[in-house]
Amino acid sequence: MKKAFVFLIVFQSIFTCLLGQGNLPPVDKSPMDMSYYPANYPVLKINDKITEPLAARVVYSRPQKAGRPIFGGLVKYGELWRVGANEATEIEFFKNVHVGAKKINKGRYSLYAIANETSWTIIINKETDTWGSFKYDAKKDVVRKEVTIQKTDVVVESLAMAFEKSISGFNLVIAWDNVKAIVPFNF
Amino acid sequence: MRISSVLFVCLLLLSCSDKKKENKVTTPVVNKEDSSAKPTPEKSINSYSPIDISPMDMSYFPADYPKLKMSTPSIKPAMARVVYSRPHLQGRQLFNDVLKYGEAWRLGANEATELDLYTDATIQGKKIKEGRYILYCIPDRDKWTIVLNSNIDSWGLHPNSLKDIAQFTVPAAMTSNAIEYFTMIFQPTATGADLLMAWDNVEVRLPLSF
Repeated sequence: MKKAFVFLIVFQSIFTCLLGQGNLPPVDKSPMDMSYYPANYPVLKINDKITEPLAARVVYSRPQKAGRPIFGGLVKYGELWRVGANEATEIEFFKNVHVGAKKINKGRYSLYAIANETSWTIIINKETDTWGSFKYDAKKDVVRKEVTIQKTDVVVESLAMAFEKSISGFNLVIAWDNVKAIVPFNF
Repeated sequence: MRISSVLFVCLLLLSCSDKKKENKVTTPVVNKEDSSAKPTPEKSINSYSPIDISPMDMSYFPADYPKLKMSTPSIKPAMARVVYSRPHLQGRQLFNDVLKYGEAWRLGANEATELDLYTDATIQGKKIKEGRYILYCIPDRDKWTIVLNSNIDSWGLHPNSLKDIAQFTVPAAMTSNAIEYFTMIFQPTATGADLLMAWDNVEVRLPLSF
């Protein structure tokens, strides 16, 4: 009898933790985030400090390393990786851009990657508003681009994406664990 | 028998200490102004982009659309989406610790809360064309004004009212349980969906017809 009571208490506390938000969605373990190019565009905009037009935005969820080996471990070499968590990572261009010689029309796209030991293949795909990479369809690829990777000085706990200015456009920097990839976009 | 009693006491103690921890948070670490401006533990180790204390989230209509799309590839396109950041109470009360009646609030944190309409919608008889918008609100005791604004890709502070597109007054309801994190979801209705906004013990619904 007492045992049953203890179990009841245990289950109750588990459920209270899970349903802390009633029937509304709890905060995700891999929180979402966004980055713009130009960097911090929204802050620049409200302060009237825009010096170049809005070009791109990435909306992605941020899984954490949490003590795990990431590349070659959690993210298997040579396999499709969603570069995020939950909803497919979304990259939006507000003007036409180029990746290498390939022109990409302005619009919303999903972003994937295939990580390898010394390089990553970055994939931009037409199918949006989808979940992870589970229904990935290579026929909807817009561009695939191989980029070399670099080691970071410090361990990056949460997957991070940021845009930086380049000579001919901008780069998307993707960093996690001790690896960073730089994806060049040209105007 | 004895083990289960010990377990029970441990659990009780655990739940008590949890409560104490929650009660201790009397001085809020964050305010509504700008959470990303506040230092976060991760800042020192993630120079690229530290995790925000008010994490971002998105909700679709139909709800969980990206998952539905996986199971039903022939599904029609989504109708709407909201992208917002989720401040949390941390021991504060929504009114008047975080928000004040009659003062505009960004309905989120950090980047302005974005409403994406993938199809034309009607709100309180007014036709709203498909496109990207931002939202803010002016809360009051028993009603909130929800404002649709065209100043997209901006930061939530200082909404530019010159770019307001439409204002809608909706009733504010009290709920019995308090929501720690500001929450926005779409709930289906007979003619479309309510955009439900909930925080602390207040619930507000903006009805959209498609």
